[in-house]
Amino acid sequence: MTWIVWRQQRPVFITLVAGLVVSVAVILMWRAGMAGDLRAGNLEACVEKIFDGCGGKAADEFQDVWFDRLHAAQGTVLAAPALIGVFVGAPLFAREYEQGTHALAFTQSVSRTRWMAAKFAVAALPALVVVLVYQFVVHSWLDVAGDLGPLATGPFYFTTFDAQGVSPVAYTLFAYTLGMVAGALFKRTLVAMTLTLGLFIAARIALSGVREFMITPTRVLSDDLDGRSPVERGPLVVESGFLDARGAVVADPTPMMNCAGRNDAQGITDFEVCYRENGLAQRFTDVIPVEQATTLHLLEASVFAGFAVLFVLGTVWAVRRQV
Amino acid sequence: MSQREHPPVLAEELGKRYSRGWALRDCTLEVPAGRIVALVGPNGAGKSTLMGMITGLLRPTTGRISVFGDEPSGGGMHRSVAFLTQAKPLYPQFTVTETLRYGRNANPGWDQAYAEELVEKAQVPFAARVGTLSGGQRTRVALALALGKRPRLLMLDEPLADLDPLARETVLRTLVRECRTQGITVLLSSHVLAELEDVCDHLVLLTEGRVRLAGDVSELLRAYPEHRTLSQLALAHMRMGVAA
Repeated sequence: MTWIVWRQQRPVFITLVAGLVVSVAVILMWRAGMAGDLRAGNLEACVEKIFDGCGGKAADEFQDVWFDRLHAAQGTVLAAPALIGVFVGAPLFAREYEQGTHALAFTQSVSRTRWMAAKFAVAALPALVVVLVYQFVVHSWLDVAGDLGPLATGPFYFTTFDAQGVSPVAYTLFAYTLGMVAGALFKRTLVAMTLTLGLFIAARIALSGVREFMITPTRVLSDDLDGRSPVERGPLVVESGFLDARGAVVADPTPMMNCAGRNDAQGITDFEVCYRENGLAQRFTDVIPVEQATTLHLLEASVFAGFAVLFVLGTVWAVRRQV
Repeated sequence: MSQREHPPVLAEELGKRYSRGWALRDCTLEVPAGRIVALVGPNGAGKSTLMGMITGLLRPTTGRISVFGDEPSGGGMHRSVAFLTQAKPLYPQFTVTETLRYGRNANPGWDQAYAEELVEKAQVPFAARVGTLSGGQRTRVALALALGKRPRLLMLDEPLADLDPLARETVLRTLVRECRTQGITVLLSSHVLAELEDVCDHLVLLTEGRVRLAGDVSELLRAYPEHRTLSQLALAHMRMGVAA
């Protein structure tokens, strides 16, 4: 059975590998060029950690050239799962139904379930490997730019988070199985492709909006009421606000922040004192620390993987169904 | 009960209803082993529906059907059955050799030498892609794929419909020779009654979703002495069925 599916998937496989080889070649070339620019601008130390000497002209020029390209590379990692779902997952069964060859497959001695399992595995494995390899190559490029590139905004910035860890593979599995079940249910390649793209994008947007609630955030407190947020760039800020003297969250601090008419003789308002007199005691920020990025990756991936399992079961039902 | 005692196909009160209405009703029949059975009837009589239920591609609405004693399901077709439809679905991008390899991979009882022999006899080039073959050649490859799994029941749904008269004759002759020498039961549907004349020894006639006539051809001809040939007999009963 493996050979049959392999023979059928050969053009898809060749396309995948060719696409990967070309993109990896381009990225490695750019990566080498970028490393050269870093040396030429004497910026190598800024990659590790931004310090005062990093704000100069050399850094600006470097970022003008490379920042958007690095960002775009992250974007392609985000797009890869959708491509796999639309071009590998959706036609997998839909094409058989369209060509009528499902009738050939269904009238051989091997069971439909085995046929389905072979198709699922043989088509999925190369696609997942390609996505994984591409993700690592892009990431190795981002690492070279370090804090001068998009990684400076921390692991939770959406292009960084979604292009890192187990996420791309989980999205790919989701998109691929979604395409597969849509094809098995609707039996039309074009319908399956359109549905896969639409539903995949919708699911990604919906889940990226709620994933921060999957983890209990850590509360960071600060007595500095008027200062900047106590949290540096990096951690994911879920919520922020003020606590009153009893340590309870102030639901609506706006009236307590009204300091009109509180200015002193020089006409300067001491907001710190004013807030405290109004009853605000502490400032809080609920964050997901950088160390918990992996946990959040795994939590979100498990949701996508759960859907993928449902889609596989749906495919089994659709293919085994007798009309 | 041993496998031998089960007839290739046994249908009891079998019925299939689509959204547009009943395609087959109260169908009770037995396909006896070792015979070449003609399945005839006008368009929409339920021939393809009956075959679809034997393969397990379709699920009966009412009644029961068994194939060599087993109930067909959505799991896969009975391994002793081979099926060839008018459309003869094959992968167009596969070569003939690859198509036979497909048969070998998908059927445990596959006889590679026999399948190759059938393709050789038909003089179809092994290296050619299936998509480039003529209708006749495609049919021969599809037939090799069907017979290569060494079935005990071979079902053919209008297998000759898109062939020229010469190819029809060759294919039919090959078919009858192979099946007679190996004792394969054949269920053959066709609109061209004259073609079935010397080939079939058992008749199942459907009209409007019901079994109108079923039995051994020579016995039927004895029972209806006014008809001298199978085609006359079948045609007369089809007319009666449609008029009723």
